[in-house]
Amino acid sequence: MTIELLLQQVLNALSLGGTYALLALGLAIVFSMMGLINFAHGEIMSGAGYGLWFVILVGLPFGLGIVAAVVTGLAIAVAMEKIAFRPVRSASPAALLLTSFAVSGIMQVLFQNLISPKGRPVAVPDVLTGSWTLGTLHVGTIQALSIIVTLALLAGLTVFFRRTRMGIAMRAAASDFDVARLMGIRANAVIAAAFGVSGVLAGAAATFWVAQRGSVDPLMGFLPVLKAFIAVIVGGLGRLEGAVAGGFLLGFIEIGLRAFLPDDLVAYREALTLALVILILVLRPRGLMGRARESVR
Amino acid sequence: MAASTHAARAARDLRGAAFLVAPLALVAIATAAAGDPAWTQTVVNFFVALTAVVGIGIYVGNAGIVSFGHTCFMALGGYLSAILTVAPNFKAGNLPGLPAFLAVVELPLPLSLAFVVLGVGLVAGLTGMVIARLDGAAASIATLGLLVIVYNVLIGAREITRGSQAFYGIPITVGVWTAFAAAAVAIVLARVFRGSSIGLELRATREDEPAAGAVGVRAVPRRWSSWLLSAMVAAVAGALYAHFLGVITPKAFYFHLTFALLAMLIVGGMASVSGAVAGAVLVTVLIEALRRLEEGFAIGSLAVPPVFGLTVVGLGLAILLVMYRRPQGLLGFAEIEELVAPAASPHVAPGPLPRVEAAGALVAEGIGRSFGGLRAVDGVDLRLATGEIVGLIGPNGAGKSTLLGLISGVLRPDAGRVTLDGVDATDWPAWRMARRGLGRTFQNIRLFRNLSVHENVEVAARRSGLDAGPLLAQFGLDALAHRPAGTLAYGPQRRLEIARAVALAPRFLLLDEPAAGMNETESDALLDDLRRLRDETGIGLLVIDHDLRLIMRLCDRVVVLDRGQVIAEGPPAVVQKDPAVIEAYLGRAHRPTEPNSEG
Repeated sequence: MTIELLLQQVLNALSLGGTYALLALGLAIVFSMMGLINFAHGEIMSGAGYGLWFVILVGLPFGLGIVAAVVTGLAIAVAMEKIAFRPVRSASPAALLLTSFAVSGIMQVLFQNLISPKGRPVAVPDVLTGSWTLGTLHVGTIQALSIIVTLALLAGLTVFFRRTRMGIAMRAAASDFDVARLMGIRANAVIAAAFGVSGVLAGAAATFWVAQRGSVDPLMGFLPVLKAFIAVIVGGLGRLEGAVAGGFLLGFIEIGLRAFLPDDLVAYREALTLALVILILVLRPRGLMGRARESVR
Repeated sequence: MAASTHAARAARDLRGAAFLVAPLALVAIATAAAGDPAWTQTVVNFFVALTAVVGIGIYVGNAGIVSFGHTCFMALGGYLSAILTVAPNFKAGNLPGLPAFLAVVELPLPLSLAFVVLGVGLVAGLTGMVIARLDGAAASIATLGLLVIVYNVLIGAREITRGSQAFYGIPITVGVWTAFAAAAVAIVLARVFRGSSIGLELRATREDEPAAGAVGVRAVPRRWSSWLLSAMVAAVAGALYAHFLGVITPKAFYFHLTFALLAMLIVGGMASVSGAVAGAVLVTVLIEALRRLEEGFAIGSLAVPPVFGLTVVGLGLAILLVMYRRPQGLLGFAEIEELVAPAASPHVAPGPLPRVEAAGALVAEGIGRSFGGLRAVDGVDLRLATGEIVGLIGPNGAGKSTLLGLISGVLRPDAGRVTLDGVDATDWPAWRMARRGLGRTFQNIRLFRNLSVHENVEVAARRSGLDAGPLLAQFGLDALAHRPAGTLAYGPQRRLEIARAVALAPRFLLLDEPAAGMNETESDALLDDLRRLRDETGIGLLVIDHDLRLIMRLCDRVVVLDRGQVIAEGPPAVVQKDPAVIEAYLGRAHRPTEPNSEG
């Protein structure tokens, strides 16, 4: 094992883990607001991917495609909140989860019928598919960009949550929704904003995902978002930093297994990744950054 | 229901199961008599799905946690049974990776099912050790992870399972009668589990985990047992699928099946066995109708083309409709016989209250606890002997409820120790404190809202061996016994919470603001009730309240807390005159009573 190979794997892990982190962060923001694990987050991601695909299809430049992906993600997320989740907002977590489960199934069928059940190719410009060579290290352009953009997004969100009015309102609502409402924070606005942020993050994640794989399909969002779910609970449900940490952890575990797993076990890679992460919950049932839940009342 | 013995309970549950099994038996008889292949196919499919749904409901319904993972136990059951029953020469050709002992066996279905129950039970027992520790959404996501793990393993292990290719040639041995028998057994098991002590306690944790802890219930082992049993039933359903279809793939036990089974559970109402049955019927009808539409059809000369995924959309919309209109499902929390023939609440003579036999004391020595920089409780000594009534008062934010949490095991002190009858109980969790004789109520009433009044008391009474009926009468709640606790008015809710704590036959009882929200007349009645409770039982009572009129008349001794520390202690008359108390507490408000509650 050379240092270069190790560095290479670290970059791979940062890139993949970063995508999981963006998805997990979006899930965690919505969860902290209304206790919903949004099963249909994967469909937001797939929808954003189709936004990118459509713009390229009609011959517009890739840059506009990225904008389209982010805007589509935002629009689907906000519309989903308004149409599907607002009527059940105060329902139990189980009811919310099932609602999003149904929404997810319906949206998958819509993608299959309205677009295609098969994958649609997306032409990625040569600038992005290339790679740089630093000594013996090969860094894919998309990979490098995804790491940089992910870190920039995380930094930007930190500023948003600390400095802006809406960001602070969202943090207040996340820590105690009822009290925040009593303080005059408008529930509809913060929840819509939470979904909006989660949609933007899903749009960014979709862009990296599609650019690295070169196609979009109706089930595209399923596996990465499943991993993001796991990242969210491993990080500690509702803890935003935890979700990001969980996403990166998952990236490292997955890349680690991909690099070092013996050949006869490669078929079990996904299963092993998930099992390893879920086993963390044996040690910490409330997740890495979860607070022990204590209540005196 | 005066004599709630094991036999009586089992009889009641079996009678309830009969309500459900009887109409299914008619369907089975009619199907066997008609002998129409297409219809038989549909009915067998329904019975197998019903077995699975009722099995899944054993965990999901009682624990209140949605599981996406039970389809994986069906997959394991299906594959295991397939491997055990196909001919050895098929295995030699198709499944080269099988261990030798599996490669040579060829079992009949009943024997194979026994191994399925054991084998999948082992897997469920192990996975349950992780999943039972989780609650709510975290548990649901972990079950989803489990489903994906098993799916990937089945595909990866192609030397044993043929991977993503179809596993065919499974002996088709399941007909109407086998499928019906499985469904009937599943219904009986689910009803008996639901009514058992484990099932009742699990439903209590579903309603309110801290309150369940306060009557001695540990959620984790209860969740584990229901996980295990429900996985075993699901595994049998999976095996039956395999022996009904003759061909299985990992994909057959993945999202589509999960979606359909969950829709059945939700539409009918996941909290009751009857709901699972009703949902299975309705959703099966819906799926059959949609499947015909999906294949395309013609209205007169107008041909409607096949629409892909119509069943998924239909099921999705059905789930949404239920969530929007009636989130608890069509049947809600009730079993069918409770809806068809509601039990009367017979008048029961009030029974004697449990008596404390030996004297003892609950003692806190120098206990403290910080939250961040705030020292909420700081070096407090408190002693509560059996047979005495101690009042704990103090201004808002003085640390009273925190102190209660520390004594009752809900919070862990970071200094000092707690002893119960001389035994060190500092590190005991709430459920152990409760089992060793400490009852409590909560400042914001915590009842098992969707359980009946009787069941609320029954959870605690079954632990202590008391009879719930006469105890309810003692508290004037016998006429309300079959009402869901959440539908009671405020006063009866408070009384029920105390009755539930007393049903634990505690030696010590901690009451957190029992008079909150009561007017003078009600508070006078409470005073009499509590005094009588102490006189008749010899329980040691610790009462927190802001109603000083009540505290001063009720208590033998009063402890005053301010900023986490005891500033005065003694008989009410002495404490009332203490200058420190007047300054800290009475001096601030010129009214003798401060009606608001601590935030």
